[in-house]
Amino acid sequence: MYAVETDKLSKIYHSGLKAVDEISIKIENGEIFGFLGPNGAGKSTTIMILTTLLKPTSGKANVAGYDVMTQAKSVRQNIGYVQQDSTVDEYLTGRENLELQAKLNHIPRDIIKKRIDDILEIVELVDRQNEAVVAYSGGMRKRLDIAGGLLHRPKVLFLDEPTLGLDIQTRYKIWDYIKKIHDEFRTSIFLTTHYMEEADKLCNSISIIDHGKIKITGSPKELKSALGNEMVVFELDSDKNLDKLISELRRIPTVKDISTDGSEITVFTTSGDQLIPQIFQNASTLEVKIESISLTKPTLDDVFLSHTGRDLREDNGKYDRKKERERIRKIRV
Amino acid sequence: MMLSDTYTIFWREMKRYKKSRSGILIRLIQPAIWIIVIGNTFASTRPLIQSVGFGGSYIEFMAPGVIMLTAIFTSIFGGVNTLWDRRYGFMNKALAAPISRSSIALGKMLAISLISALQSSLILGIALALGVHISNLLIVLPIMLVVIAFSLGFSGISVIVAATSKSQETFWGVINFLGMPLFMLSPALFPLELLPHWLAFVARLNPVTYSVLLIRQMMTGTVQPFSIVLDVSVICLFVLAMVGLASYVFTREVNKPF
Repeated sequence: MYAVETDKLSKIYHSGLKAVDEISIKIENGEIFGFLGPNGAGKSTTIMILTTLLKPTSGKANVAGYDVMTQAKSVRQNIGYVQQDSTVDEYLTGRENLELQAKLNHIPRDIIKKRIDDILEIVELVDRQNEAVVAYSGGMRKRLDIAGGLLHRPKVLFLDEPTLGLDIQTRYKIWDYIKKIHDEFRTSIFLTTHYMEEADKLCNSISIIDHGKIKITGSPKELKSALGNEMVVFELDSDKNLDKLISELRRIPTVKDISTDGSEITVFTTSGDQLIPQIFQNASTLEVKIESISLTKPTLDDVFLSHTGRDLREDNGKYDRKKERERIRKIRV
Repeated sequence: MMLSDTYTIFWREMKRYKKSRSGILIRLIQPAIWIIVIGNTFASTRPLIQSVGFGGSYIEFMAPGVIMLTAIFTSIFGGVNTLWDRRYGFMNKALAAPISRSSIALGKMLAISLISALQSSLILGIALALGVHISNLLIVLPIMLVVIAFSLGFSGISVIVAATSKSQETFWGVINFLGMPLFMLSPALFPLELLPHWLAFVARLNPVTYSVLLIRQMMTGTVQPFSIVLDVSVICLFVLAMVGLASYVFTREVNKPF
């Protein structure tokens, strides 16, 4: 049994927008799975389907062994969902918020107190538990949110951008909590994030989604080495003969992939030190001048960009009121 | 399970109400102005009111109307936090939990009607302080029961409008369109007997009318059995219909993307 298993899952909105397009993913029990993609790629829609908040147009999805369509109630009993935006009640105290969460999740009355004490310990909010949340910082609210998602010991925890907008210290702390939770309760975690470092540090497995489709799946290490283990970045003085140079370089067997950004070229390769002289050779035959060159190792950022491209997701920057509203509505839910 | 789920949501709403102390007083200002300003402005209509058989002063006549005004507006505005809950994710949190969905609507409605009764009882206090005479102090309890029941029905309207609106603007537009006419088209400020026939007919279709008449009878102690049975059954029917419709519409609407 998988923690999450989907088969050709699709969601088409009334506007005709295909937000999720035949996604098939398998997440092993106890795994931390990273779901990455640009804004509007379909991450939120997928999470909403998996947490039974939205019905898919077609395809199947099982969470914790239950079908999200026909066994929604059982799914709800076995998941925790921590949303991107804080959902705690500001005028309630930290403890009251957790009491509410415990009741929403049908935790038996006699163990609520102990569960809350335990979780407050983990997220280090014991001292502030009786203060109204309105006085909490962003990081404290997030910790309270995460605590709330864990209170009923769900089999699968959905974390939607858990560290968005938090400072670096808090972010590292939250990563520690996530790891601690994962080790202690063997919770399977479905995590979406924009921070590649976060995915790299936490996830056993990653899928990159764009335009509703899964582009690639694998462990962070696999994804990086699929691009070759090294990358050469160089800059030309002009983009004259740029295309010719690229097609020449593509013929070299150690070259895995090439991406360009203006006159800056990135070549993914398995052996960078041998490639550099070859680049110079090709450049001088084509009479192109290289301004600078460097050899680095690819990060997940590079993996992400090579699968999703560098284009911004705002459709040529043209402001279309209807589309914008559609987008906002999608993000909001 | 359904009962304890309803109580969970009720508990949350009441906690939130308790923490908003300033709101409690602000919401009293408007009905207080009504009872003081309108009550005194129309004081000289006393002979008109006496001509249809009401013995007391105009303020005594309109006090039940202002109690209902408080109840109408507290309860019909009460559902607005459904919109906030959907915008700020609390709704998604509740919907992704095993709690039953209609109990979310029911818990909200129960909390709104209790809050409405609390607000109305404060207005009743103001009326008594202004010299309004009631037959028996114990009658306050059944009056509050009527207010709770009536408010439950009106909170249903509020939840229906909130669940189907996508924005605050739509919600307030519809609510203001509903609230004032429902108050005006009732014997809250003026006796039905003195209205033109067609207006009196429309007023008789309005559940507010029956609540005002019932509370007025209770306050003056001039209870007529037939009228009581009619008023109570109209209110009960109205409440049952609204509660049922509200939980149906709510569970249907929250399944759609917001």
